[in-house]
Amino acid sequence: MNVLEKLKILSDAAKYDVSCSSSGSNRRNKKGGLGEASVSGICHSWSDDGRCISLFKILFTNYCIYDCAYCVNRYSNDLSRAMFTPEEVVDLTINFYKRNYIEGLFLSSAVYRNPNYTMEQLLQIVKKLREEENFNGYIHLKAIPGADKEIIEKAGTYVDRMSVNIELPSNEGLKLLAPQKNKESIIKPMGLIKTKMIQSVEERKKFRASPKFVPAGQTTQLIVGATGDNDLKILKLSEGLYKGYNLKRVYYSAYVPVSANPKLPVLKSPPLVRENRLYQADWLLRFYGYNADELLDNSKPNFDLELDPKCDWALRNIHLFPVEINRADYDMLLRVPGIGVKSAMRIISSRKFSSLDFYDLKKLGIVLKRARYFITCKGKHYGLKNMNSEYIRNKLVIDKYKNEPNTDIEQLSMFSLYPSLTMEDNIIKIGGQF
Amino acid sequence: MVIYIYDGTFDGLLTSIYEAYYRRENPEKILSEDLIQENFLIEKIYIDTNKEKAEKVYKAIESKISSEALRKVFYVYLSEVENHGVIIFNYLRLGFKIGKNVDLNLANNFVLEMDNIYQKVSRERHWMLGLVRFRQLDNGVFYGPIEPEHNIVGLIAPYFTRRMSNENWVIHDIRRNIAAMYNREEWIIKDIELKEILNLAEGEKSYQCLWKEYFNHISIKERTNPKLQKRNMPMKYWKYLIEK
Repeated sequence: MNVLEKLKILSDAAKYDVSCSSSGSNRRNKKGGLGEASVSGICHSWSDDGRCISLFKILFTNYCIYDCAYCVNRYSNDLSRAMFTPEEVVDLTINFYKRNYIEGLFLSSAVYRNPNYTMEQLLQIVKKLREEENFNGYIHLKAIPGADKEIIEKAGTYVDRMSVNIELPSNEGLKLLAPQKNKESIIKPMGLIKTKMIQSVEERKKFRASPKFVPAGQTTQLIVGATGDNDLKILKLSEGLYKGYNLKRVYYSAYVPVSANPKLPVLKSPPLVRENRLYQADWLLRFYGYNADELLDNSKPNFDLELDPKCDWALRNIHLFPVEINRADYDMLLRVPGIGVKSAMRIISSRKFSSLDFYDLKKLGIVLKRARYFITCKGKHYGLKNMNSEYIRNKLVIDKYKNEPNTDIEQLSMFSLYPSLTMEDNIIKIGGQF
Repeated sequence: MVIYIYDGTFDGLLTSIYEAYYRRENPEKILSEDLIQENFLIEKIYIDTNKEKAEKVYKAIESKISSEALRKVFYVYLSEVENHGVIIFNYLRLGFKIGKNVDLNLANNFVLEMDNIYQKVSRERHWMLGLVRFRQLDNGVFYGPIEPEHNIVGLIAPYFTRRMSNENWVIHDIRRNIAAMYNREEWIIKDIELKEILNLAEGEKSYQCLWKEYFNHISIKERTNPKLQKRNMPMKYWKYLIEK
């Protein structure tokens, strides 16, 4: 099999991994070497599904000893299999990099023979890149659950980021769909990476030359919609991972039906809106100071698909609004729907010079489509007459559909939006008399 | 109505600002030579570039406002938008009055306009860091053609000297007929015109082919979303992409 054939098979097999970010590392180039990492990360292209291509995302092999029902590479699945040699991966990485196609390598693998053997192969590739080719671009490596501590530790000294995919958010899910795996084998390497990272930072304070360990941190991925787990459970898990394991990112991947296994739900299309809601909530956890419990609770364990989590939160806490844009503190500004980190900082800095009115906000580029219902500018409110959360909600949903006329979600009628109006009332209004 | 005309260099622009400041004039426009429109009602003043005066303005911006402001002025100059001269002039006038906090005053039109143009240029610069595509030529040089809207080739060159420090490369701005060239030691910007057709190195085509296949296979068919793709990567940049 030639390299082109292998590349086709193994990129197809790698595409369901969402992570592609190349940020968080400031690795410098060495003399005579190739490449460096950029802290902000750099996207090099965008594929037809609109996702960014930053790293050369590839599996070392898709021969797998496991049979996880949700995974396209399970051994019972009938598809072409291939395996790279370490030299082939190195050659592709170097040559793609020199042509500026990519920012680095994202190397993952199915489990071939046993976890240790697979991890050993991955280690060889990254070692070759760093030591023989003097390659200093970004490397993101998958840690294979179940591999020995020593191999994972060794690999960590060569790469910028490591990740272990949790995939299924609960133990029940694992039992049902991936009976050969268990929670402990996944969590263990994450704990190991975390401890080593802290150690390395401490050591580098004393000895500057001691090697960095995974400087861009670790990440993980959760599949959304393959099991019955609700959003609250997923979000709580993410919150725990951010707090307990210092994860840089948790990625969410809408389950793409890759199998007709009766244990899996039947889906017409991947639950993309739900995935989007989880990402929005994830951002709220990391950058906006929300807790998972504020966004969801047991009486309402799933996100509203019509409204983003922040709007939803604001409507449930309508007594806090409207806020005065010229006086509210940063934390409160961040909680106004439609105002993000950048907008909030712009407001804070420019209101030092003069108080802002509605048109100033427009000029600053702040999106007022949602914010207008929740703010006052110099005491004047530009939203609805009263702060009734149901009215505002209806208004927001209508605005949304005005901007996306082509969504194939059921057409809204006046009656579904205003259930309090009876049919007769409407006829009277339209006809004017009776 | 007065219009200042400078020779198109950054020093020329700074000299014009020096002159306007000390002659206490308020020019309607500050234009580069190649953008003059004929109009007999307008009094045109040609500004002679003067290194010393430019240097003074340069230092004054850095010390009296901030190095941030200096970068903004340079980026807006490189944006080549038509009225960049007068926007910079008014921004600096305010800056010399307020000092280093001038950039916070986004409610002011000139500050805001500066900021918007600056953002545009830096966004394009960042895009280009990822979207330059090198082709290896038969003499071993990596050649990357681009056609950016703003004159950013000098802004991206230092980045490539760091990461491709051990290769010879050329980034050719085809729209402006200039190129940044690097010989494994230092880089320069030069006017160039391509006379002959460039020959690709052996093996170049096969890497291009591998990349194209990779590009097609990495996308998830069930999630195809051309609108998102175009928003992230505007079509005006597709011309020199191998994969498109």
